[in-house]
Amino acid sequence: MKSKHFSILFILLISSLSLSACAGGAATAASSWPGLSIVGETAYLAYNQHVYAINVADGKEKWRFPLEADNKISFYTAPVMTSDGQLIVGGYDHVLYSIDPQTGKENWSFKEAKNRYVGSPLVNDAGIFAPTADDHLYALDFQGKLLWSFPTQGAQWAQPIADPTCECIYLASMDHYLYAINASDGAQVWKTDDLGGSMVGTPAYGSDGTLYVGTFNNEILAISSENGKVLWRKTTDGWVWGGPAIKDGTLYFGDLSGAFYAMDASNGEIVWKLNPDTGDTSAQRSNPDGPIVQTPLLTDELIYFTTRVGSIFGVSYAGKTSFFVDIHELDKSICGDPKNTKVRPSAKLFSSPVLASDKILIAPTEADEMLFALDTTGKPVWCPFIPEKK
Amino acid sequence: MNFWDLLILNPMVNALLWIYSVLWQNFGLAIIVFTLVVRLITYPLTAQQMKSGQAMQEMQKSKKWQEIQKKYKDNKEKLAQEQMALYKEMGVSPFGSCLPTLIQFPIIIGLYQAVIRALAVTPIQLLDLSNHIYPFINAAKLIPLNNRFLWMDLSQPERLVVLGFGIPVLAVLVVITTYMQSKLMTPPTQPGEQGAQMAQAMNLYMPFLMGWLAYSFSSGLALYFVASNVFTVLQYAAMGKLQWSNLLPGRK
Repeated sequence: MKSKHFSILFILLISSLSLSACAGGAATAASSWPGLSIVGETAYLAYNQHVYAINVADGKEKWRFPLEADNKISFYTAPVMTSDGQLIVGGYDHVLYSIDPQTGKENWSFKEAKNRYVGSPLVNDAGIFAPTADDHLYALDFQGKLLWSFPTQGAQWAQPIADPTCECIYLASMDHYLYAINASDGAQVWKTDDLGGSMVGTPAYGSDGTLYVGTFNNEILAISSENGKVLWRKTTDGWVWGGPAIKDGTLYFGDLSGAFYAMDASNGEIVWKLNPDTGDTSAQRSNPDGPIVQTPLLTDELIYFTTRVGSIFGVSYAGKTSFFVDIHELDKSICGDPKNTKVRPSAKLFSSPVLASDKILIAPTEADEMLFALDTTGKPVWCPFIPEKK
Repeated sequence: MNFWDLLILNPMVNALLWIYSVLWQNFGLAIIVFTLVVRLITYPLTAQQMKSGQAMQEMQKSKKWQEIQKKYKDNKEKLAQEQMALYKEMGVSPFGSCLPTLIQFPIIIGLYQAVIRALAVTPIQLLDLSNHIYPFINAAKLIPLNNRFLWMDLSQPERLVVLGFGIPVLAVLVVITTYMQSKLMTPPTQPGEQGAQMAQAMNLYMPFLMGWLAYSFSSGLALYFVASNVFTVLQYAAMGKLQWSNLLPGRK
């Protein structure tokens, strides 16, 4: 009988181990949200096992990379285009790929990283600067040759930014430090003091040379780009995940509590703030209804941001919400299929909205649809992109 | 929030993070100590399980049990009735040893889900973790967790590089300790005893299954497997219940 009990224990253990596999990082289970970028009339969407090139005009797929899904390869970083026309994207397989944007074929790959690419690389005339979760920033030339690498004490999930006035790049790391690095040789120019929390959002760069970055220590900070000194710091209601966006001397950003801020970049004073209202399930919501993860999109008219529960808000620069879409309630009659009306209830929004001429592109997570194109009234312009099974 | 998160996973994740914060921010040590603490807390269940198992085994060796097996071998319904009567008579609960095991089951799942959740190596995992940290844990200071332990990155499958070859040392340790644990804890069986063959088969396959999981998944999980196996063996040794003779060659 006792051996029977052992059998029961073992069988239960097997079941439990199967459960662990769900959280163990299988490539097919999304472990991040889609990375989306626009170049000309093409949207490049990195999600799960492929990078898709999608025609912005009609939402049709041009190509996908790789052609055949491979369980060992997955992509979540927004692809970036080099000045010589290479599409660069990092994978969870620890490989950085250069893809021909016309054909979707691989040009070259860089395989020296020892962990995932979570943040997008920065590309400029000086080269390709790819942050990784192996605690190194890799600088490559346009043929994929390693120029230098810069180590930090923690994973690097944030896309670095370049300083237009010098040959510097700024890197926010999860090790709580912001670094200024010489782009030509990878030498450290300066390093901040411990900023109190991890940073995973790209810093914003003000016209006066001030850097702005949010941390997991419920703070937003202004940092001098000359020497890395903290100019001011303000407390937020929750972790600041995405970097702030800046326009006309005002910072715009959200936090994981669901609060959205407009803040004076010169001193950190709040200009206006939208407090979260997570209980609001009405068809027209004016306050954020869930955590705000990514950087908002600033257009001429409105500030667009998404909340994790699947909502898209458009707020005027005076702080008044005039655009609201619940992705689960989107009118999909444009698809022509009476059965194809609702987005899955599990669908969430983490990725920033992206502007493509007059369309707002939205890439949800945990939905069948991978890309929505909305007009300024919130109506789909084309039937949402669902990749065909190949 | 669901009950699983509220009652099992969140307390475990936060306990793990708290242990990590007081153990010099060493996640490897935190996993080992956390496993030990959980083993100690669940000790009464382990003891109860062993006691009931032993009582059951003794009852099955008794003359009365053997007699009814023979007598009613062609009448399963009657056999079941007589067995139940014997259970009652000898004061043995048929579920006495499997109930504590079942109670431990959610704890075992919770343990390694907590390890995976705390490691939070992808954005969605980290966002998820941010939702489950208690206010008294200084998450901003602790994140990112220091994944380094000895030669391992606990968030990655482990390989010790020797002369250019990656050797999965931890996976091998998992196979060895799982095999030892199952052999040492399996009571001596008599040929033909009910379930004995099944237990032997499990003893053979389980180490390889566990080893494969340790080979494929984060080494933090593999470290938990090894720690858990070692503590279980030590716990049984302290209670004098190990079947050392099972390790001898020729014994099945």
